[in-house]
Amino acid sequence: MFELLFKYPLTVFRKGEFVFASGWSGWLLLLATVAAAAGLAWHLRRNPGRLAGRQLPWIAAFQVAAVALALFMLWQPAVSIQSLRSQQNVVSVLVDTSRSMALVEDGATRLEQVRKVIGEGFLAQLEERFRVRLYSFSSGLERLNSLDSIQPVGGSTRIGESVAGLLGESTVIPLGAVVVFSDGSDNTEAFDRALMAEIRQRNVPVHTVGVGRTEMPEDIELSDVHVASSTLPRSRVNAQMTLRHHGGSQVDARLTVRDDSSILGSKTITLRRGETVQTETIDFNAGDAGVRNLRFSLDPIEGETILGNNAQMRVLDVPRGERSILYVEGEPRWEYKFLQRAISKDENVRLVTMLRTTPNKFYRQGVNDQGELLNGFPVTAEELFGYDALMIGSIEAAFFTPKQQDLIREFVSRRGGSLLMLGGRRGLGDGGWGVSQLAEALPAQLPESSNETFQRRKTSFELTPQGLDSLICRLDEDPAENRKAWSGMPELADFQSIGELKPAAIPLINRTSGNEKFPLMVSQNYGRGRTLILATGGTWRWKMHLPHDDNRHHTFWQQLLRSLAVHSQSQLSLSSDRGLYADEKRVKLRAQVRDKDFMPAGNATVTATITSEAGEPMTVEMHPSADEMGVFETELTAGATGTYRAEVQATVGDESLGTDVLHFRREDGVAEDFHPEQNRELLETLAKQTGGAYWTLDNVDGLPQEIRFSEAGITAREMLDLWDMPLFFLMLLGLRGGEWLLRRRWGVV
Amino acid sequence: MPLVMPLGRLRTWTAAGVVLLLTAPLLLALQRYRYPQWSEPQIQYSAPPDPNGSEFYFARLVYDSGMGGRSRRGGWATDYPEAEYHLMQGVQRLTKVDAAGEGKLVRPLDDEMFEYPWLYAVEVGRWYLSQDEAEHLREYLLRGGFLMVDDFHGTYQWADFLDGMQRVFPDRPILEIESEEAVFHVLYDLDQRIQIPGRQVLWSGVTYERDGYVPHWRGIYDDEGRLMVAINFNMDLGDAWEHADWPEYPEPMTALAYRFGINYIVYAMTH
Repeated sequence: MFELLFKYPLTVFRKGEFVFASGWSGWLLLLATVAAAAGLAWHLRRNPGRLAGRQLPWIAAFQVAAVALALFMLWQPAVSIQSLRSQQNVVSVLVDTSRSMALVEDGATRLEQVRKVIGEGFLAQLEERFRVRLYSFSSGLERLNSLDSIQPVGGSTRIGESVAGLLGESTVIPLGAVVVFSDGSDNTEAFDRALMAEIRQRNVPVHTVGVGRTEMPEDIELSDVHVASSTLPRSRVNAQMTLRHHGGSQVDARLTVRDDSSILGSKTITLRRGETVQTETIDFNAGDAGVRNLRFSLDPIEGETILGNNAQMRVLDVPRGERSILYVEGEPRWEYKFLQRAISKDENVRLVTMLRTTPNKFYRQGVNDQGELLNGFPVTAEELFGYDALMIGSIEAAFFTPKQQDLIREFVSRRGGSLLMLGGRRGLGDGGWGVSQLAEALPAQLPESSNETFQRRKTSFELTPQGLDSLICRLDEDPAENRKAWSGMPELADFQSIGELKPAAIPLINRTSGNEKFPLMVSQNYGRGRTLILATGGTWRWKMHLPHDDNRHHTFWQQLLRSLAVHSQSQLSLSSDRGLYADEKRVKLRAQVRDKDFMPAGNATVTATITSEAGEPMTVEMHPSADEMGVFETELTAGATGTYRAEVQATVGDESLGTDVLHFRREDGVAEDFHPEQNRELLETLAKQTGGAYWTLDNVDGLPQEIRFSEAGITAREMLDLWDMPLFFLMLLGLRGGEWLLRRRWGVV
Repeated sequence: MPLVMPLGRLRTWTAAGVVLLLTAPLLLALQRYRYPQWSEPQIQYSAPPDPNGSEFYFARLVYDSGMGGRSRRGGWATDYPEAEYHLMQGVQRLTKVDAAGEGKLVRPLDDEMFEYPWLYAVEVGRWYLSQDEAEHLREYLLRGGFLMVDDFHGTYQWADFLDGMQRVFPDRPILEIESEEAVFHVLYDLDQRIQIPGRQVLWSGVTYERDGYVPHWRGIYDDEGRLMVAINFNMDLGDAWEHADWPEYPEPMTALAYRFGINYIVYAMTH
């Protein structure tokens, strides 16, 4: 319609420059128009005919407008615009051949619909003015002679990389524009801002043609799974999942976690109406030491056709080994005994204790040898940082020297360890910790007054919402059962007031007194580590007031102590940019290396050995990161599918800084099952960022004309006449016709 | 048959009556002192309780002696309350344990027992535990409670103790506590095994009672190898604590009894 009235597409007016082809001045046009208007007015006034006085201005207005328009056309208005020279420029047409293009919609696959549109005129239109190059793309880019042979079999969609690659290799040819036919499901996570900037810098407009539905019919998708890459044997693991639900109705679906054939966990979730994306969590036990190939899956719902996006694989490393926790206690007390008992069966957590039994005597338990802690609490970073977590019970801050207090703070902030402070008559505020050098690291502003904050009075308590979600407080995997398990717990023997919480503190358990609630257990991150306060020494009552085979007390303490230990950072830690490489062969490994004082070891030599399930080990040297001291990186290609084992070693001279092992998984043929709907947002962004436009299969026939006015490639300035625009003639006709109708109405024709 | 009693026999009866009248109050007073009423224990030695409470309480098991109830003549009250009062003073002075000056009395079926994970039973050679009481005590021990038994001697009293203990744990063996075990080293290194006598040593001159010539430190362990019941057989730590302020009682025995008691307490609070 626009072109029918205006003769040219909108882009001509957007990009072009308005000029008068006659070469006459615009001021002259204005002068001529004024003169013509004045002449007409004078003429009408002298010869009004049968027109009344009030009718004259109307007639004059119509006549002046018609004359002004005629004068405007006489001045030859035109648009000066850059346009691609005919047959001297190349237009590259990219067609998505990933597997998602095989989805059948409206009786044909997405690829068949594209092939039909291109074959029925689009290609011919382009070829009238340009040299056209055809490509297919999915995980890579391929030049085509025709579209006849292409099949939708690509394992992934790399729009960004394909376009960037095309532009990179087309620098020597006059590329006028790029046209991308795709559903936009770039599933490589590689299409980031940097890649977009690289494409934009080429100054070639990329026009995108969206294919496929933007909303899918009834379908559930397990879009993402976030789970720790490593944990201690027999630990409770929490996996967080992102689910997408298409279709209007509320449905229940069964979520299951399997390790090979054995089911580790299962729950029914409700996919709520109107919520496309929702997150869910599931807990399961990591089991014994070994590598778990975890499969998270959703049972299909009724009417679901795309089943490949109902499952995800992840690898969980459960290494053998032991984490050690140092617990300093200032007095024999029941809490000490019962938490010792709780952790005694845990082979993976070694609780090393220093218990002050008399004013000048300490009793040590859990030590590896007689020399461990023989001289008391560590005074060097090397000795203290050998532990993964630290617990401080009912012992005054003054027991520790200022240097030791500093060391404890750095244990958390620099070493990345966890610190748990327990309540007690010499603990927390009553022990002077509120004015210690550790105060800033704690999650609460401990009272500094001399009033006793520790009370030997029984107290009830309840979990906070964060506590209900926390693995530490998970007595039962079912949230309702968990709540019930906690509500049936005996009262605590005592409690301690801890003052105001700091802004970043997360309350997990509250003490209740009537309608009032006071924080009892809180945590916060501090530096690389974490600090927690459990403001009681009276959880032992749970054990003594519940049947002897009730394990709630033990479970709580085991989970709490494991949580402390498992989050600690080691000297050398290896990570990968993903847990699962679905149709992605490039693997980025990152190692964080620290010396024995946990200072970044930038001078280390770091090597990684990667072994596939069937292949030979491959050793690569990791290179220091330019961005962060003590970080080493490498990128490798993992061609074969399966589970890979990466082991990293770091040394400085002859000194070893440790080893770390990581497992990751490679799979092919799964990425295209996810996000099968058209990603219109991405296609629009790509077009907008490059100066192109987003099109659909229905209006794509206007694209060749649009491409003609591209500023890339070999262009020439072109003058497009506007005086013969249909709109002008319609306006002239309208003005004259309008005057005639008025005269007729007034009866003065 | 004449109803007149001969003068000699009358004198004998009169003398017996006078003696009875004179001694009865004294006997009654002694009995009241030795065996206080359950409902109103006559605590003569008591520290003012801490208003904020204490971490550790010396809890004494008020068991039935099978002689008509657990009131006046129960063996449970032997050395009560001086023994715990003296021991607790020692614990407060010598350790960092927040120990209460006053003791607690708990009955075998009372759930209050679970508030005190350390329990003392004396003269268990005369105790009687019903099946319900034994099951309650078993549950207490399995949850993590600790029981110290003391002051019983010889073959017959061992048999009586065993009768009650086997109701508590029919299948768990009673073993000698080895010298290297933690309970003998947790605070004090107690390498010497000396029979700690009751106060009868002062007039009998021997440290043993009945046929309990050899002292035994025995124990019952839980499934993890932790001591649950410490059995002090053929010795009397309770007397040694009780008579800590009695000049005639041998001080070294009191000191040793303190050390054993403190080790039991610290062990119970650490294992």
